[in-house]
Amino acid sequence: MAGEKLETVDIVEEKAEGPSIKSFGNFIDFLKKELKPKGNIATPFNIISLPIMLLGYVFIVLRLAYGLGKPVTNLTQEFPWGLWIGFDVVTGVAFAGGGYVLCFIVYVLRAEKYHPIIRATVLNAFLAYLFYAGAIVLDIGRWWNIYNPMVGNSFGVNAVMFLVAWHFFLYMLAALIEFSPTIAEWLGMRRVRKILGALTLGAVIFGITLSTLHQSGLGALMMMAKSKIHPLWYTNFIPILYFVSSIFAGLSLTIFEGSISHKVFGPQIDEEHHKSYDDIVVGLARICALTMFGYFFLKAILLVHEHAVPYLDSTMGFWYLFEVIGFVLVPCFMFVSGAQQKNLSTIKFAAVLTIVGIILNRLNYTFIAYNWYVPLSERYWPAPMELVITASIILSEVWAFRWMVNRMPVLRKPPAWAIEKEH
Amino acid sequence: MEELFTYYDMFATKGDEYLIIIAVLVLMIVFWKFLYMKPY
Repeated sequence: MAGEKLETVDIVEEKAEGPSIKSFGNFIDFLKKELKPKGNIATPFNIISLPIMLLGYVFIVLRLAYGLGKPVTNLTQEFPWGLWIGFDVVTGVAFAGGGYVLCFIVYVLRAEKYHPIIRATVLNAFLAYLFYAGAIVLDIGRWWNIYNPMVGNSFGVNAVMFLVAWHFFLYMLAALIEFSPTIAEWLGMRRVRKILGALTLGAVIFGITLSTLHQSGLGALMMMAKSKIHPLWYTNFIPILYFVSSIFAGLSLTIFEGSISHKVFGPQIDEEHHKSYDDIVVGLARICALTMFGYFFLKAILLVHEHAVPYLDSTMGFWYLFEVIGFVLVPCFMFVSGAQQKNLSTIKFAAVLTIVGIILNRLNYTFIAYNWYVPLSERYWPAPMELVITASIILSEVWAFRWMVNRMPVLRKPPAWAIEKEH
Repeated sequence: MEELFTYYDMFATKGDEYLIIIAVLVLMIVFWKFLYMKPY
């Protein structure tokens, strides 16, 4: 009995102080221990997600071996961008915008109220860029040339994609540096933690600067397709729209992901942070409401500026109004109502509507309002393999997020030796 | 091909755009007050 108690205290102290890694051998042993699953493996989520992920990996190998086109994808010369670019890359990166927005709020505006969720949001952003920007390998025809923008052999400096490639790479590094103090705390590396903590503000500023350009850069990718994108969506200000919408897209995903994390990882979160969570969500809802208000009127002004108002009286016009009113204006007012009454259910539902709206908006630009005049029978629809691969990428990211949250001080308090080093 | 060379008068809508922007600025004040208003 006494022996059991000592073992529990040892484990608690080790978790509180970090492991004692004095050599590479120690590190390997620690990593082997951490790689073992914690808790029950046969959960419903694991049973459903694992076969999808494994099937997706097989299809990824098929795609890399046999190329784009049937049977792996339904992409054609008329619809060269489909679900992978439209959802994984463009939408996924918009949702990762929560990282730079929250970093701006916490580290630049010094709103400490949001500090408890910063680590989870930065981790989310890092993993989103890693998986979704990494999914670009699947999207390009000659995937073995993916490193060309980095090393030369035809940089492609005339393409917006050159900027996007470099920015994604640099932002991944910035997000990793922002998250690295957490990794150092997990490994118990005090001196490294101190150095990495000093780099945080610089990485944050660098990350925010990068994000403003590549979030709008994804919109700039559409600028060349003026004759192909429906006039209701096409405007010279697409980059601005993409940047502004990335703000509330990221924060909405932060609200959505945070509500799930609070339920799933609840035992890790201390009482103080549990109590402050409602206030945090209400604050994020206000920011979303304000941004969406501005975005809605930006859309209205651009509609007039581009002489596109007559197009509203058409099928695509109704689709446009469905997107803008149903998934921008309605959630905007739901955020206002939820924030006024501090009703978290309303706010969470508004966040879900916003997320759906962003997906709809990005897919409209990629293949719905793109070549919109093509008959329905010749339009692009995602192939089953594309859907499975997309699902496997998302689920892999969720598994990586879960692995890291269960082992590193993301939601739980950092070790005592690190707390006084924060800020 | 002709579509790529369509010219339109961008000043034709300037009056409407100015009105919308003035309306946005006024509505922003109302919206802000509404956002921070305590519920009844």
